Order: sequence, then C-alpha cells, then structure tokens
Amino acid sequence: MTVDPNAPTQGGFPVPPGAGGPRRPHPARYLLPALVAAAVAVGLGAYGQVHDPEGTAFNLAGFSSTGAVKSWLGTTALGFALLQVVSALMVYGRLPGPSWSAALHRWSGRIAFLVAVPVAVHCLYALGYQTYSTRVLWHSFLGCFFFGAFSAKMLLLRSERLPGRLLPVVGGLVFAVLTVVWLTSALWFFRTFGVTR
Amino acid sequence: MKRSGPLFTLFAGLVLALFMLSVNATTGTGSSSYSDSSSDSSDPSGTAGPAGPAASPTTSAPGKRPSPTRTPSPAPTKKPPADGRYTGRTDDDSASVAITLRAGGAVAYFCDGRATESWLKGDVEDDGSMRLTGRHGAKLDGRLAPDNGSIRGTVEIREKSWAFTAPKAEKPSGVYRATAEARGERLDGGWIVQPDGSQVGILNRDGEPAEAPRLDPATGTVVLGDGGRLTARPVVP
Repeated sequence: MTVDPNAPTQGGFPVPPGAGGPRRPHPARYLLPALVAAAVAVGLGAYGQVHDPEGTAFNLAGFSSTGAVKSWLGTTALGFALLQVVSALMVYGRLPGPSWSAALHRWSGRIAFLVAVPVAVHCLYALGYQTYSTRVLWHSFLGCFFFGAFSAKMLLLRSERLPGRLLPVVGGLVFAVLTVVWLTSALWFFRTFGVTR
Repeated sequence: MKRSGPLFTLFAGLVLALFMLSVNATTGTGSSSYSDSSSDSSDPSGTAGPAGPAASPTTSAPGKRPSPTRTPSPAPTKKPPADGRYTGRTDDDSASVAITLRAGGAVAYFCDGRATESWLKGDVEDDGSMRLTGRHGAKLDGRLAPDNGSIRGTVEIREKSWAFTAPKAEKPSGVYRATAEARGERLDGGWIVQPDGSQVGILNRDGEPAEAPRLDPATGTVVLGDGGRLTARPVVP
C-alpha cells in the first residue's frame, strides 16, 4: 500500500503511536536502513572518541568564534527543520498547503542537513565525543544519533509500501533529536555568551 | 522504480563532510605550529639518559597524528645531540624554563606562572648550541653541557633577559601543552613540571593569560575551574 495522504494521523504532530503498521511484507527491508543508521551513529561516535581532538579548525569570516558560527548554522538547521514539520503536515494533508509542498519538504530537508554537516564535522574534528557534563554527554550522544536516524530516514524513503505511520514517526524522531541537540549546544551558547558575541 | 533523491542527499552530505575534513587537515597544521606536539608514547627520550625504566606516565593517545617529520641532517660522522628533556629555573628564580630536544630540534617553554610565557623552537647544532626563536622576537640562546647533563643559557623576551640553568630531567618532568576550543573559548595552556614535582603553568583564555590550574603529570589531565577538562601532552620538537 502507498501512503494515503488523507489518512488520519493521531494528533497534529507525529508522535510515536506504536510504530509500524500491522502488515509488514518484507521485514528484511528495514534491515539495511537500520544497519546503516547504527553504523553511521556508532562510527561517528567512535571517530569522536578515538580521534585526538584537534582543538581548532576552520573559522568563517565575520564571526567572533567557531562557537558562534556553529550556533548560527545549527539554528539555521533547526529553522529548516521546523519548516520540515510544517511541510510534512502539508504533504499529509493535515494543513492546507500549496501543490509544491512536497518539493518544499525535500529541499528544506536537504538544506537543513547540509547546513548541519559542517557543524558536526567541526564538533567531531575539533572537540570529539565528550562526556564531562550531562549537557555535553547528551549532545555528543544525540548528535551522533541524529545522523544515524537521518540516514535511516533517507534510506526508508526509497522503500515502497511502508506502513503508513513509519515515515512520520521516523521523521518526527529525527526532528526531536535535532531539537535536543540544538538545545544542548546553540541555545546553551546563546544563553552563556549572548547572541551577538 | 526506486527514488534516488535521498541517496543524492546523503551523498552530498558525505562529500561536504569529507571536503571540510580535508580543509581542516590541510590548514590546521600551519596556524598553530607549536601545538602539534605528536603523541608521547613513542618518544624515544631514553636513548641517552640513564637507562632507568622511568615510570612512564604515558598520556592516552589513541589517535596519533602524524607529526611533521623532521629529517635529521644525515651527516655521516657527526651526530646531533641526544634527545632529552631539560627543566630548570632562571637564575633569579622568577620563572621556569623547559627544553625538549629531539632529533636535532629543540622546543622550549619559558613561563613565570602569571603572565609571561613564550614558546620557542629551533635547531640544535652538533656542538650542542642552540638559538631558538619565538613569537614577538623572543629568543633563547643555550648550550648543552659536554656531558649532556644540563643546558645553560639566556632567554630574552620583550627586552628583558634572564639567565637560566636547566638540568636534565626524566618523565614526568618536562613541558606540556594543551590547546582546545570549548564553549566558544580558545584555551591554550602550557606547563613546566620540575623533577621535585612542583609546576608552573599559564592558561590563556582567548589570549588572556592567567595562572593555570594544576596539571596531573601522570595523566595530563587538567581540571578547569568550571568543571571542564583539558588534556595536556608533552611537547616535542
């Protein structure tokens, strides 16, 4: 079965409602996304842990520090992620949307992802996987988890006849994780150092 | 037909990540030449000293960075002075000096534990003399004693000059450095650990020098006042 755009979903927001539909013709096709997701998340974490943090890396002109660059890039990514939620609701017919809401969803997601990549590269290259406080521990863990979950989401999109709730659930998970990653880094940075610094 | 757009998205992210890593890897070495101390675990500092099994507090260095390899000048008859660590104090006892020799190169750190510090480096001549230079015109002229037991010389920083003597020392004495960027701050610390266990250090926060928190020479760990941690590593040329 294909996703019925008019199928009712619980709530306005994709909250996990017992994932997976009743019919799953080939459970093996979830295996590849799951394996890739695990490999990405564990691989990133292992790289951050094993690799010696370099301490410094690139900076962009116009910003006072790499922390500011990353915070603003992360905030940009979160902004596009919010657009993701809205456009997804449009695609599923939960909100009135234009005919190009699917394209909007695809492209806002791509931009959000590509904006988040440099932040992750800097984190892993310069700082590594750290656990010295609760905030940092969660940020490190969920930051790696995010890219694994995102990979799974991308690969799931290639499968047809998915259970109707699966994509919204995974997408919602990706968004929720990104939000926590942002809360534990950029929001913390802005609150600690100020927005203008 | 399978959709390939998501694959392109992932692939683009991967390419971007690899591109940024390569930019980092190629530009990172030039900007902070001193901080690229290679990991210590392979430090062959025991080649000349008393071959005692000095309790080696190897700092955990899982991911080794390739240090810029210095090709020792292959003079067939002469050898550069032997590798070693030297730590001492200025004659007026106001500051510490530590020098590490390796493969004909030397790196030195001068630190008064409050505000004045300098990193210097250069080559060691075959006769054991060295002229090291640092930022802002800092200079260190030194000479290795014939028995390799100490280095004596002068340091000149901002038109002030100090004479010093630095006897040969063993691990964990020596000079350590930690650089990190955390919480939007650039941290750069240097420490000199003396054979009697005393130490001085300066930690720069965004270029502002201040007395550094204590370094644990056994592990290289520095606990900052706000609960953060730094890992300092022995500095080698």
